[in-house]
Amino acid sequence: MEVLTDFVTDDYLREFEVKYNDEIANSNGKPNDETVFQYAWCLTRSRLLSDVKKGVMFLEQLLASCKTDQAHKRDYLYYLAVGYTRMKDFTVARKYIKSLLQLEPGNRQAQELEKAIKSEMETEALKGAAMAGGGLLAAGALVALGMALLKKK
Amino acid sequence: MSDDILTTLKILIIGQSGVGKSSLLLRFTDDIFDPDNQAATIGVDFKVKTIDIDGNLVKLAVWDTAGQERFRTLTPSYYRGAQGAILVYDVSSRASFERLDPWLQELNTYATKSNIVKMLVGNKIDKDRTVTREEGLQFARRHSMLFIEASAKSKEGVMCAFEELVQKIIQTPGLWESDHRTGFSLQEHSETEAGASWCNC
Ligand SMILES: Nc1nc2c(ncn2[C@@H]2O[C@H](COP(=O)(O)OP(=O)(O)O)[C@@H](O)[C@H]2O)c(=O)[nH]1
Ligand SMILES: [Mg+2]
Repeated sequence: MEVLTDFVTDDYLREFEVKYNDEIANSNGKPNDETVFQYAWCLTRSRLLSDVKKGVMFLEQLLASCKTDQAHKRDYLYYLAVGYTRMKDFTVARKYIKSLLQLEPGNRQAQELEKAIKSEMETEALKGAAMAGGGLLAAGALVALGMALLKKK
Repeated sequence: MSDDILTTLKILIIGQSGVGKSSLLLRFTDDIFDPDNQAATIGVDFKVKTIDIDGNLVKLAVWDTAGQERFRTLTPSYYRGAQGAILVYDVSSRASFERLDPWLQELNTYATKSNIVKMLVGNKIDKDRTVTREEGLQFARRHSMLFIEASAKSKEGVMCAFEELVQKIIQTPGLWESDHRTGFSLQEHSETEAGASWCNC
């Protein structure tokens, strides 16, 4: 799914990192929620796992302090699900996408992400099986993986 | 298979919230209209679809945005590298037509390719209109844009809009690069088709 493979460019990530750090320096360490969100959004779209983890942490803080605004809540839930999928933590990713679908059951974007998470999970499970088994078993699993990947195309 | 893909193009859909951008995209990629999905787009969404233009496969990455304030700061990256942009208004909403200018300004400010192909789409022609076809056409002419009226609901004009946009991009020298083959050219074909309306709908 495309949102899972869309990466932020480095200069962009730096731009929002600078904005975030400036606000911390100039407002007694309390940056604006919007700035945090924008920085977090960039982080979850980074190629570096450490960035994604940091982004997800920010989003969880925002979600925890967001009591009323549903429009903002959906953004947090959606990108938390994206972030955790990228981290291959599928259990948590599914928890967040389910919460979003509870808020908006008909949301097609959320439904598609849920499907994509499931399919990523299956792929990873097949890869895992291929690694775990030795010799013939691994070869068999690799063939199965190949076929599963082909089917997805 | 993927070896046959002539090029990959980045296409944007822009315009006011509610005019039917996501519905047009869904109709184009999946050929469905989902009246139950009233949800506004979250952040930026994009879909990939391969289409056949005169026997050449062209892969389209189509970007769709909600245009909410909090994602606005990411606008420059949204526009970066795009070869085509579809600006949508709703023919049943006068207001959406009157607010086209700021979108065009934004497009002209942030598009990194100076010869980006622009298309104006008047959506929801299945509804009672308050904007005439002539008005849309004139706006498009004034700003050197392609123009099509469409309905994501009835499907009229949707495929045509995307195909015509891609056709125009392919015919624009220097706007795109071949993914695989070198020295491959559409020149011969585009010359014979030049100016002709090839899209029969
Ligand atoms: N009648 C009619 N309704 C449409 C059409 N396209 C979209 N809509 C409806 O208009 C609303 C907004 O559509 P949406 O695609 O979310 O707009 P966006 O905010 O521009 O992405 C939804 O309720 C759609 O069902 C159309 O061609 N005809
Ligand atoms: Mg939308």
